[in-house]
Amino acid sequence: MMHMRSKLGALLLSACLPLQAEAVNIFACEPEWAALGQVLAPDAKVTSATHAYQDPHYIEARPSLIARLRRADLAICSGAALEAGWLPALQQRAANPDVQSGQAGMLFVAEVVETIGQLEAVPFGAGDVHPEGNPHLHLDPERLRQAGAALSQRLAQVDPERAGEYRADYLRWSLAWQQRLEDWRQRAEPLRGQKIVVQHSTFDYLWRWLGVEVIADLEPKPGVPPTPGHLASLVSKVEAEQPLAIVHSWYQDPQSAQWLAQRTGIPVLALPSTTEPDKGLVAPEQLFDYLLDQLLGLPGAR
Amino acid sequence: MTSPSLRWLLPLTFIASTQVQAELQAPDISLTVDAYHKSDNTALGGRMEGWGLSHTELAISQQFGNFATGKITGVVESNEEETDFNFEEVYLQTLSLPAGMTLRGGRFLSDIGYLNGQHPHADSFSERPLMYRAFLGGHYYDDGLGLSVVMPTDLYWRISAEAFDGEELGEFEGDPTVGTWALSTTFGGDLSQSQSWQAGFSYLRNRMLEQGEEESGHDHDHDHDHADEHHGHSHGAEYAGKHMYMADLVWKWAPRGNNRNQQLTLSAEYARVTDLNEYASSDDYHQGWYGSAVYRFAPQWSAGVRYGRVDLMLGHDDHFHDGKLEETTAMVAWNPTHTQTLRLQYTHQDVIEDWNDTFEGADNAVTLQYIISFGAHDAHAF
Repeated sequence: MMHMRSKLGALLLSACLPLQAEAVNIFACEPEWAALGQVLAPDAKVTSATHAYQDPHYIEARPSLIARLRRADLAICSGAALEAGWLPALQQRAANPDVQSGQAGMLFVAEVVETIGQLEAVPFGAGDVHPEGNPHLHLDPERLRQAGAALSQRLAQVDPERAGEYRADYLRWSLAWQQRLEDWRQRAEPLRGQKIVVQHSTFDYLWRWLGVEVIADLEPKPGVPPTPGHLASLVSKVEAEQPLAIVHSWYQDPQSAQWLAQRTGIPVLALPSTTEPDKGLVAPEQLFDYLLDQLLGLPGAR
Repeated sequence: MTSPSLRWLLPLTFIASTQVQAELQAPDISLTVDAYHKSDNTALGGRMEGWGLSHTELAISQQFGNFATGKITGVVESNEEETDFNFEEVYLQTLSLPAGMTLRGGRFLSDIGYLNGQHPHADSFSERPLMYRAFLGGHYYDDGLGLSVVMPTDLYWRISAEAFDGEELGEFEGDPTVGTWALSTTFGGDLSQSQSWQAGFSYLRNRMLEQGEEESGHDHDHDHDHADEHHGHSHGAEYAGKHMYMADLVWKWAPRGNNRNQQLTLSAEYARVTDLNEYASSDDYHQGWYGSAVYRFAPQWSAGVRYGRVDLMLGHDDHFHDGKLEETTAMVAWNPTHTQTLRLQYTHQDVIEDWNDTFEGADNAVTLQYIISFGAHDAHAF
């Protein structure tokens, strides 16, 4: 009899619950934050404004994005001016007070997790750099965990009824992440001290974490596309230092990297700078597993 | 002390101590310089021949907590004949109204049409299309109050209602409290990962004209001189009617939605102006349209063509004469950085039908334009 009554109570409770607590709606500026959001709030409705084949610096404030931000309870973005060219336009047009900057519903990760490459002042003609530092901080797995803590905190603020669940989900994820960090560190040992050529500062956090040295950037200045003159000036250095690879991101045109590869014999490696569910990179750990697999698969890494 | 098993707890406690709070940010100041050289004057306004500054603006915007944002934009236009200073924007806009509402008060750009709400330095061509120059004086801003609502739908849907003083639309004799009012709506969405679109409909009611007519109904023979008085630089609408209807459609394509390297933008707008004066029948209306295609084929390079046309009714006492003007424009632009644009444009004008030398100034022109912005410039709209 007791059993029956408690069952009935549970039934009544579950009938009432969906009415008072609708699934939280998360707007992620970049796919990695959508992936993190889905892990830390499994019931949430999560969308990403961008995907791995888009340059997150250059996104248009499209009507579809305005409509999505209009209905968001929480927005999570890298910050550090990465989205300066489009997010303010979305915030202004979406007319959603919950996701205005400074509100609990607007999380800029770079405001709660320390960035590298911060500048006192940006000299004129320095290219597309910002005093807030390098915004691509999700590619440091330690910082990604800090971002997870911040996100979990904000989830509890905007959706207090599920605060306990968010905390439990974060603790479970964070423990598992700790284990992964140990594994990745061991696996990445052969990469320590290796050299690399990059195109933009996208993977800087990853190189730092791996102990890989960046010897050249295909971009003459941050954010400025490679020029033939600049590429030609890199040939002798790359030949002398024999880096592991010339790395560019999936969203970048491979032409410049291939040009340099042909002249130096150094392999080109195209890497995803973020999660891409269509390619099986759904959860954040799958991205790091994939990046490590690709780097360790290079001829020089064995 | 911090054994590995405890380290995962640290981020939580660290974050817990930092409170989320709204802070008053420093004002954003931006300066945009638009310098040009144009080889010849062309009909229906736009830039003047020779060296000049067009739409060089200094803007200061300030956010007030989470409640409102304010903006002041001062614009200088200077050519070989005159220098002009104007405040084009002085407004406060709410940020915290519920239900997707935004209230704006002060002087601001009306939400009508596709190009009107955008700042001219973000345009793909150095001059606005003929229909904007003929019916809206290039772009329409005024003193007033506006309310817009973004609906909570999957499809983007915005509705705006605005009421203006009307002083900035042109030189009319009437002076009602609400000189103009406008209704507009915009829809938009994505067709696929690579394609997105936006469509809008607008209506602008001009009450200045009506009152002016009542007060000075006999004074109509100066109407056909109107265009000549404002030859060249003009702020107001040269061809007005009581009602203006507009429709716009924009379609953009970028491979996989990555508009950094390549993007194709097609846009078109149509406008019809009716009830031109008391002699106008329902067949007497102005109309104009344009279609433009702009292709960015490399991160720093874009090229585009635009065709535009206006069919005007040129008032002459109690009847009208047809006036038809076409303009074809081609341009190539180079953006060495995202704050600079160097544009070379060729404009060709064809007079299809003229009366009383209204389009006497029609000509071909080559324009070289250089735009540079400093400071926190606005994120550009779709």
